[in-house]
Amino acid sequence: MGYAIKTEGLIKRYKDKTAVAGLTLTVNEGELIALLGVNGAGKTTTVKMLTCLTKPSEGKAEIMGRDVIKDSEEVKRLVGVSPQDTSVAENLTVKENLEFMADLYLPKEKSAKAVEKTIKAFGLEEFKDKKSKLLSGGYKRKLSIAMAIIGEPKVLFLDEPTLGLDVLARRQLWREIEALKKIMTIVLTTHYMEEAQALADRIVIMNEGRVMAIGTLEELENMTGKKGLEDVFVSIAEKME
Amino acid sequence: MRRTMVFAKRNLIEVYRDPLSWIFCIAFPIVMLIIMSIVNSAIPKEAGNTLFRIDNLAGGIAIFGQMFIMLFTAIAVAKDRSGAFLTRLYSSPMKSSNFVWGYILPMLLTAVIQVCVSLIAAVVISLISGYSLSIVGLLFTVVAVIPSALMFSSIGFLFGTFFNEKAAPGICSIIISLGAMLGGIWFDVEGVGGFMYKLGKCLPFLYATKLARSAIALEFGVKEFLIPLGVVVFAALALTILASIVFNSKMRADQR
Repeated sequence: MGYAIKTEGLIKRYKDKTAVAGLTLTVNEGELIALLGVNGAGKTTTVKMLTCLTKPSEGKAEIMGRDVIKDSEEVKRLVGVSPQDTSVAENLTVKENLEFMADLYLPKEKSAKAVEKTIKAFGLEEFKDKKSKLLSGGYKRKLSIAMAIIGEPKVLFLDEPTLGLDVLARRQLWREIEALKKIMTIVLTTHYMEEAQALADRIVIMNEGRVMAIGTLEELENMTGKKGLEDVFVSIAEKME
Repeated sequence: MRRTMVFAKRNLIEVYRDPLSWIFCIAFPIVMLIIMSIVNSAIPKEAGNTLFRIDNLAGGIAIFGQMFIMLFTAIAVAKDRSGAFLTRLYSSPMKSSNFVWGYILPMLLTAVIQVCVSLIAAVVISLISGYSLSIVGLLFTVVAVIPSALMFSSIGFLFGTFFNEKAAPGICSIIISLGAMLGGIWFDVEGVGGFMYKLGKCLPFLYATKLARSAIALEFGVKEFLIPLGVVVFAALALTILASIVFNSKMRADQR
């Protein structure tokens, strides 16, 4: 199995701040990796660099072997993004939103089938003719993720997918993400420990733009001598101070 | 091209599902046409004021209506920029030209529909008031005002790119007021003369109104038709190119 994402010394600097300070990371195909950290840790900036939404200041990043700067056109065809804020066309129905994204990525003959398949896979049948602005927060997130995967990306980026959702909506969304794990590589950013613990194959703990630790939960537990991700995180965070 | 049409379809649906679009783009010009026709009927013939006579009024209203197209383009662009929807699209294979034409094309279509509706209303009013309008002239007007529709859509696109959702409508309202005044829609700027006329001649609005009125009257002289057509086409192309450059650089700046 090859790698889906490879970064070497990836840096993003804004005027007076370094948002990501030398990220070196390899994500295997079919893996779900969670970028875990508090606000301002550099998770979203990392996602932005890997999805061609912002240019790295230094370093190198590849998606399925394509450079995010030199081959950005190709990279954009390979990735799907569900941004932190729910980004759906408010006056369009659920089905129209999905048709819109499908038509942007897929040939015409595949588009209609993909829409039907996605509606079914995400359990959106009941709401398919409802304007997206009338959906609940949970269903809006669901739609946002459905819009990100409808173009059949190789790598899916989910930026804080369950932020602000109640526990039931969060669990429901976890199930959808679990189902996607088998199909594509996923990068998920979160600051919920239990979310990273429940979904990720490997966890990247970030702080102030730096990677503090990478590994499976078991590896991180062995590394710190603590049990459970929360204690692992606290242990690493205390060492940083 | 396909991605432009896909995005244009989305924008068209967004505009048509907003009731304000119907009120300002379709109903308001018709209401103004009716009100001004009533005003015209109250003006004594001896006054010699033909500005609100239906043949002059219809052309003016066609341009006035297009100014609201500018407003709606600005709102559509500014609204998308304020949310995360454009972020999603920036990471898609869409190019800058897909965005520009995806916003402008549905507005052009809306402008054509708006002009048709306004001119049909003008025909009804002309039948009631006993003034005959040339059908060929009206059909010709629908085509003749397409450059000004492009011009106003591009101005709206420019404002939507520069300003946020709150500022863009305000700026557009100023342009609508100025454009209506200096464009000679509500009074005879040429007759007023002086600074007002000089300023009017420096802006494309007066030429757009003149072009629409000449098309209705089937007057194709150099001064009445060809010069206004040249000015409006030039302004439309220049503003569309400018809007594309500004949007492109803004898109790049967002990704820095």
